[in-house]
Amino acid sequence: MSAVLSAARGGIAGRKLQAVIIGVVVLAATATSVVALGLLANANGPFDRAFARQNGADITGAVDPSAATPAQIAATTRLPGVTAAAGPYRTVLVTAHVTAPGVPGSSPVPLRITGRSSPGGPVDDLTLDDGTWAATGTQIVMARGDGVFPGSTVTVGSRKLTVTGVADSVTGTADAWVLPSAVGALAGRAAPVEAQMLYRFTNAASTPAIDADVAELRAGLPRSALLNAVSYLSVRQAEQSAIAPWVPFIIAFGVIALVISVLIVVNVVSGAVIAGTRRIGVLKSIGFTPAQVAASYVLLSAVPALAGCLAGAACGNLLAIPMLSVNAHVYQVGTLGVPLWADVAVPLATFALTAAAAVPPALRAGRMSAIQAIAAGRAPRPSRGYLAHRMLSRFAAVPRPVTLGLAAPFARPARTLVTVTAILFGAAAVTFGAGLALSLDRVVADNPGTALPVQVSPIRPGSGQGGSMTVAQQHAVVSALAAQPGTLHYVAETDGQLSLPGLPETVSVTAYGGDPAWSGYALISGRWYSRSAGAAEADVNTLFLTETGTSVGSAYPLHSGGRRVIVRIVGEVFGPGKNLDVYLSPATLGAIAPGAGPQQYGVALRPGTSPPAYANTVSAALGHSYQASVSGAPGRTLEAVLALIATLTILITAVAGLGVLNTVALQIRERAHDIGVFKAIGMTPLQTLAMIVCSVAATGLAAGIVAVPAGVYLHHAVVPAMAHAANSGYPASMISVYAPWEAALLAMAGLIIAVAGALGPASWVARTRTVFALRAE
Amino acid sequence: MDALVQLNNVTKRYDDGPAPAVADVSLAIEAGEAVAIMGPSGSGKSTLLNLIAGTDRPTSGAVRIGGERVDRLSETAAARFRRRHVGMIFQFFNLLDDMAVIDNVLLPAQLARTRNTAARERAEELLATLRIAHRRDAYPARLSGGERQRAAIARALVNEPAVLLADEPTGAVDRGAGEEIGALLLELNAAGQTLILVTHNPDLAARCTRRVVAIADGRIESDTWLHSQAMPPAASRGADW
Repeated sequence: MSAVLSAARGGIAGRKLQAVIIGVVVLAATATSVVALGLLANANGPFDRAFARQNGADITGAVDPSAATPAQIAATTRLPGVTAAAGPYRTVLVTAHVTAPGVPGSSPVPLRITGRSSPGGPVDDLTLDDGTWAATGTQIVMARGDGVFPGSTVTVGSRKLTVTGVADSVTGTADAWVLPSAVGALAGRAAPVEAQMLYRFTNAASTPAIDADVAELRAGLPRSALLNAVSYLSVRQAEQSAIAPWVPFIIAFGVIALVISVLIVVNVVSGAVIAGTRRIGVLKSIGFTPAQVAASYVLLSAVPALAGCLAGAACGNLLAIPMLSVNAHVYQVGTLGVPLWADVAVPLATFALTAAAAVPPALRAGRMSAIQAIAAGRAPRPSRGYLAHRMLSRFAAVPRPVTLGLAAPFARPARTLVTVTAILFGAAAVTFGAGLALSLDRVVADNPGTALPVQVSPIRPGSGQGGSMTVAQQHAVVSALAAQPGTLHYVAETDGQLSLPGLPETVSVTAYGGDPAWSGYALISGRWYSRSAGAAEADVNTLFLTETGTSVGSAYPLHSGGRRVIVRIVGEVFGPGKNLDVYLSPATLGAIAPGAGPQQYGVALRPGTSPPAYANTVSAALGHSYQASVSGAPGRTLEAVLALIATLTILITAVAGLGVLNTVALQIRERAHDIGVFKAIGMTPLQTLAMIVCSVAATGLAAGIVAVPAGVYLHHAVVPAMAHAANSGYPASMISVYAPWEAALLAMAGLIIAVAGALGPASWVARTRTVFALRAE
Repeated sequence: MDALVQLNNVTKRYDDGPAPAVADVSLAIEAGEAVAIMGPSGSGKSTLLNLIAGTDRPTSGAVRIGGERVDRLSETAAARFRRRHVGMIFQFFNLLDDMAVIDNVLLPAQLARTRNTAARERAEELLATLRIAHRRDAYPARLSGGERQRAAIARALVNEPAVLLADEPTGAVDRGAGEEIGALLLELNAAGQTLILVTHNPDLAARCTRRVVAIADGRIESDTWLHSQAMPPAASRGADW
């Protein structure tokens, strides 16, 4: 064994450059994969752990107590497949004012309040974060996350409740909890009361299984009694939207890096075998068995690969920390790290893969005849590429060093193929990364902050927000905006929140006075709502469609304060995230919430108008009672994602460039003597440089051209996956991001990678003195 | 008359060598001369040839060809100079295996951007002169040793160099082919080609050259004129420098 190690050590010492290249590319592949797996594991992990700890509800059902008797509801807990159940809990949807001590003002918020005598239970065993459970009818426990703490006050109608604790339900079964006896008093006459049922099932691991469970519940209750049923899967997906969209593209980059690593290892070991023919002969002649020779050549790549794996795992953990901190914040779980199994499995798998890639060429070395190897003395001369040299030498108009270089890839077609593939993956990563960045640019462009960069609203005493503008205020703002030459158009915006039966989250409702297309939101399908008074149309985001089981064309009832309006969903709006969004006309909103009026105006500006300057002018025109503000820059998360895409693209491109460098280094090593001859007969350093660069330039160009459709294909596969992970569909504009000139430019990526990778060794050879090159073997 | 090749106190010392490979050598070779440099292995013959060709640089001293300080040229300038004014023949031919004979011969002309038609005419003419035209499309691996060396000579001459440097040109061929190569070199010199020949072979030196420079331990031991011919031929290509 020591002889094998000794031979491998000698081989590595003679190929330091190749060893470094293997180490670096394996590091990149391992780091990317560790980040991808770390994110993937943490995207699901915290939710799943909390879900298991709380015996979370697989299905949260809302039952109409007027349509089903208590006995019929209780019978559902004994249905086959139901392993645990809790409820019925009387639940009421109310509009409340929450006041926190020391915080001035309050705003109306919709609350789903459920009556429970204790936080525990066989299903949805709540975690009491702070304070105590409600002990009297005037006490209430609030759900985690709204900035409310014990001592705050919740006012529902004329009833004032004191917050005694803060609790968490992993599936968000309620916004607040009171004693069961207190629910009736809160409901009043207008608010409907529903019976909340929580179920756990034997089989609830997938959407079809959940659908089957819901169907069983529905069948077990009278017709229309089950108002809504929310799956923990949809809640989990919504909760994961903070980092889940990152996972698909990081996995794509990780796979690309792994493929390139394997290709480079194959090239390095094959090259070592070809260039080390005499060495192999000597090893065999002094008694190495074929297995020992093969082992020494596997070790040649395994040692630097192992170093790369270990360093890559460390780098991957460092890279993952800032990304995981986003998820840690979402779940309030302190810090999250890459799981230990990922830290072990990824380097092991990468190492196994790269070692396996070295086996075939190493076996070839083992099988080589000792006599032939020694007799050959150096790399066997390639017998291919003659025709290419012949044909290319005919092009007298092209400088001879160029045609010599262009013919070189034909001498070793297998190596050329491997190099082309490595460049192709690198260039595809460039196309893919550029496309991702362009798609995210569209995401930024398709939001109100970009379309309506200036917001104007009156300054309200106290909370500073909430109430509708008076008619006089609306007139003042409209007059001021109309007087500004920089105004392109504006919309009046009315925002509100609704709690709808069976939905765990509140629904954000927005009404635009003006053309809703001016809002900047992109439509995924359908059209914008009609502004005519009797239309009762709405546009919604994808998550709304998913959670309500509706689609464009469906009718859906909206409730508020005892009013009910059935709207027709006419369009799907691109609105990723975990919020349910509904957009409708002021007339339709007025039918549900008669008192609702515009709270602010969003203004689009003429080209060339400075938003801050415009805002200052409007503020000055309106006086101290109004504020004109400019939309903030895109969020830090988006900036972080763009930075990550750029980092990974550069990393993969560098890895592909190292692959080219390795190929060129091998080529130079094998053809060192020929290069010496070229120099001896008058090839200048510049001509030498041109010859070597051209030996990979055509290969790079060809790979780059093929890489564009490959990168576009990858982009078209990953962007929908990212949108899906963000609980959204995607508009066509987010996919069709490659302009023809951009595609042509991206096709040059392969050429750039090839030239950049070749320049280093080519420059070195060009500078080498002729006499040393001539002596080289 | 100035010498075509002039070496003044040339010394070449390698970093790892205890003694200089070439030590304080001064030598003048007139245009049209045929000079043999002889000596045992490791005596510095090939190093001297490399210094004349500009493929290596002296540690000290001056190397001039046609008045040009070859030792002061940059790598690029030396390559340009070499391709135009120096032809090199090697013991192991150094033909490029993946190119046919005609392409090997054309290569220096193509590097020098010589007009394609002129280069081809010159190459075909040389192949005919060197009696290898019938193998113009063959690859080096298919040629005999003598044929390979004739192809190498054609390649060395394609740019009509002032000086032809030959390093053991018969060292890797059989006796018959060696004599044939010797005869060719003699013909070339008779036609005015300046020839500097490094060889172990005293017969070849006697047959092809009129002057023998003996070198040992990097120093010139003797500089002898043979056949009582003290002067080079009057009509030489190098005289037009």
